[in-house]
This record gives sequence, structure tokens and C-alpha cells, in this order.
Amino acid sequence: MADPIHTTDTDFQEDVIGAEKPVLVDFWAEWCGPCRMIAPSLKDIAAEYGDTLTVAKMDIDSNPTIPGRYGIRSIPTLMLFKGGEVVERIVGAQPKDAIMAKVLPHLN
Amino acid sequence: MEEKDISQKSLALMRKFVAKYIEKSGTALHPVDDVSEGVILGLAHNHQTLGKPLCPCRYYPDKEEEVQHRTWICACDDMQIYKYCHCLLFVTEDGLPITEYLPDDHEGREIYGLVRDPSPDKGRPLRHKAAEREEERRNRPS
Repeated sequence: MADPIHTTDTDFQEDVIGAEKPVLVDFWAEWCGPCRMIAPSLKDIAAEYGDTLTVAKMDIDSNPTIPGRYGIRSIPTLMLFKGGEVVERIVGAQPKDAIMAKVLPHLN
Repeated sequence: MEEKDISQKSLALMRKFVAKYIEKSGTALHPVDDVSEGVILGLAHNHQTLGKPLCPCRYYPDKEEEVQHRTWICACDDMQIYKYCHCLLFVTEDGLPITEYLPDDHEGREIYGLVRDPSPDKGRPLRHKAAEREEERRNRPS
């Protein structure tokens, strides 16, 4: 059973861009209410789909470079990376089913 | 900065502001305490460190520069013009942000669909500035 990993500006290349599996990155911040709301769903997704998907969390307050590079504005923003490319972008506090409806078509 | 480092003064100020704004805007706190509490802590943190209660639910390339603008200082322009709080602090009793007044192409409509305002007689003091806001959204996406 996998848990979400925590990635940083420094580790993003290795954790996300160079990853073999698709990576769902959660751009979040400590005091963002909707980010807190979706955190349990992301933990569930990491556990249920760990064989085919990695869930990675990036704290935007501690890691300013990558969020700027990918044009993050409001959070939470989820971005699905596959083969190093962004294939899906999900903004706002969406339920687990809505998140997975966008993610599943990209999983092998 | 951790939660314990947020000054009681800033926290009290934000709690008072939020309580007043809820009354004034005819909205409600989010039914999940952790959601609203997180945002209030974030506002208090930003009030303490930046001098203004900058919205904690956004990424800013430069927070010091951003507080020179009014746009995302709580209650933000989207709240004062459209009564939309993407941070889910000022919401309906069901915990949904009001999207009724948003432009059709606003991300809030895409995320939450149409959510009606339960108190249309309250709030939106800057409703006359919608055109200016949309121009800013195009020219200074933030």
C-alpha cells in the first residue's frame, strides 16, 4: 500500500519528470482549506492505484520554482504527468470520483 | 512558520473579521471545521508576515509584490464582485462556493457548476467593478 510522496523543487526532475509511472502532483499549501479537504482522497488514491500511479505532494510555499514554471494559480491544483509531460490538470476541491475520472484514462 | 508561531493578536483579528464578513455577505463558514480553520490560520499568518491577509489558497511568484495589489487580499475581488470564495471560507450552508455571478468561463463555474446565492440581498459591494476585474484577469493573471 503506497502513500503519497513529498517532492520538492530539487527532486521534481527525478520524482516526476523522470518517473516510469504516471505521477499525480498535488500543488498545495499548509493553510489552504480546500487542500486539506482533498488530502484524504489523495491518500486513498495513492493506496488504491499505487501499482500504476504515484501521488506526489508539493508544498508551494516551500518550493516556489516548479509551481511558477507550471503556471499554478489557485490551489489545490492537481497535475498528471506521464512520460514527463502534463496530460491532465484538475483545479479546485474535487471529489475522488471526479479526480479519477480524469486520471484513469491515462493509466496503463 | 508553524501554527504555534501565529500571534494570538492576528488570529483574533482574523476571527473577528471572518465572523463579521459572514454576517455582512450572507454566507456561512464551511461545515468542515478543518477547512475554515486552516484558511483563518493562513490569513492570520499572512497578516502577521506580510501586513495584509493575503489569500492562502493561491500561488504567488512574489508575495511582497502581490500585496501591493488589492486583488487577493481577503475579502478578495472575486468575493466582493462575484461573491465567490475559491478558498471555501465564505460558502453556502452546504459548503459550496457561490458561482451564480461568475462569468461563464471562470474556473469556479467549471469546478462547481452553478451554485445559487442564498442571500442575494447581501454582499457584492464591488459588483460594479466586474468589467475591471475581467480586464485584470486577462492582463495580470494572478
